[in-house]
Amino acid sequence: MTAPTESAIDIWDDGVLVDPYPTYAALREQAGVVYLPKNDLYVLTRYDIIRDALGDPATFSSTALGFNPMVNEALQGTSLASDPPLHTQLRATLSENLTPRALRGLKVTIDEKADKLVAELAASGSFEAVDSLARAFPLEIVADLIGFSGHVKDNMLRWGQAAMQVIGPMNQRTQESFPIAGELYGWCSTVTADDLAPGSIGRGIFDAETRGDIPEGTAGHIIHQYLGAGVDTTIASIGNIVALFGRHPEQLELVRENPDLVPAAFAEVLRYWAPIHIWGRTATRDVEIDGVTVPAGAQLGILFGAGNRDPRHYENPDVFDVTRNPVDHLSFGYGPHGCAGQGLAKLEAHAIIDALARRVRSMAIADEVREPSNITRSHEQLQVVKVVAA
Amino acid sequence: MRIELDRPRCEGHGLCEEAAPKLMHLDDDGELVIDTPEVDGADLDTAKAAVRVCPVAALRLAGQ
Repeated sequence: MTAPTESAIDIWDDGVLVDPYPTYAALREQAGVVYLPKNDLYVLTRYDIIRDALGDPATFSSTALGFNPMVNEALQGTSLASDPPLHTQLRATLSENLTPRALRGLKVTIDEKADKLVAELAASGSFEAVDSLARAFPLEIVADLIGFSGHVKDNMLRWGQAAMQVIGPMNQRTQESFPIAGELYGWCSTVTADDLAPGSIGRGIFDAETRGDIPEGTAGHIIHQYLGAGVDTTIASIGNIVALFGRHPEQLELVRENPDLVPAAFAEVLRYWAPIHIWGRTATRDVEIDGVTVPAGAQLGILFGAGNRDPRHYENPDVFDVTRNPVDHLSFGYGPHGCAGQGLAKLEAHAIIDALARRVRSMAIADEVREPSNITRSHEQLQVVKVVAA
Repeated sequence: MRIELDRPRCEGHGLCEEAAPKLMHLDDDGELVIDTPEVDGADLDTAKAAVRVCPVAALRLAGQ
């Protein structure tokens, strides 16, 4: 048995979290799996290895997907933290309202909201893109979807951020976020059908519980997962869309000339900058990866962004190219735990890209600020200093 | 080779249809229909592409 090579890198170092790509490249060139003693973690770095691991839940269990025992304990019984066959039932319940077929009716509304918001911003001359677009848009869509308003809507951003943050190791960010994630958990445990707008998907989940279609007491858990998973990630993606089109005006021009490129452009945004930095698995047995042995019980960290830039899989991987159409990128994961909300994420992001391509001729960006965050990689601030409306 | 669908796992993301429109399609209810389950030659490559892009690994190719 050959042990994996080691690296002294701390994958949750502030500098790495803000700009992980040089670290990803170094780890990926070192080996397909690298042990990080500082994090007691085996990271997977290459495309094929990551995809194979995601497709093999029997060997790579999700029961410890988080990087501290408290969060793994809290997630027990959710589809996120379970393996087949239990996972199959939980996943079906979770995804029933999120499949593309279930969401088809929302497309027109989402497109209209994106167009209105982007048209206003494009006409304003300059705007701060994180608060006014990357956060504002998904928060409104998710609030409408679940059917809440008032104080819940006001707390959604910090709750959603905290829910992702606590998946990290027990560092200061995680410790500070647990009480906030607890507020979200508390609300989801006490929310009732009457709290949610009639006709909303959130209300529908409670109706399904009343009918006995899903087990008693699960409606709140499902809503918890929608809010925990669907807010911070989409915010990251939309910020990345604005930043990448700001940095690469010729790529925006390509989409403006050919709107059929909208889905390909979003796939490339996700490939180029993965919204989720790292996600956990546990080895259920001694497993050989890339010629070395990872021991049973080891904690693994999947580096989606490292796999997405693997030159063994993508040509010129460090180039942002909206014509590439990398439909097999890893940012939604893959296999039984592949992102359940990807249909909704695509609806939202495609609506934003389509609106930008129609409403914006060019935009110049400045003050791109990212704060270190354990799991999600998003902008804290992004100034569009000059936007020229189309 | 035969294209096999794990029906409960399929969520109708539709990437397979984009990769292999002659072999499969989503019907009006968003349910996947495999129009040509038995594939060989050029169709086999297209089928492999469809299997590959399924984000939830609901498709596979089974041997003779």
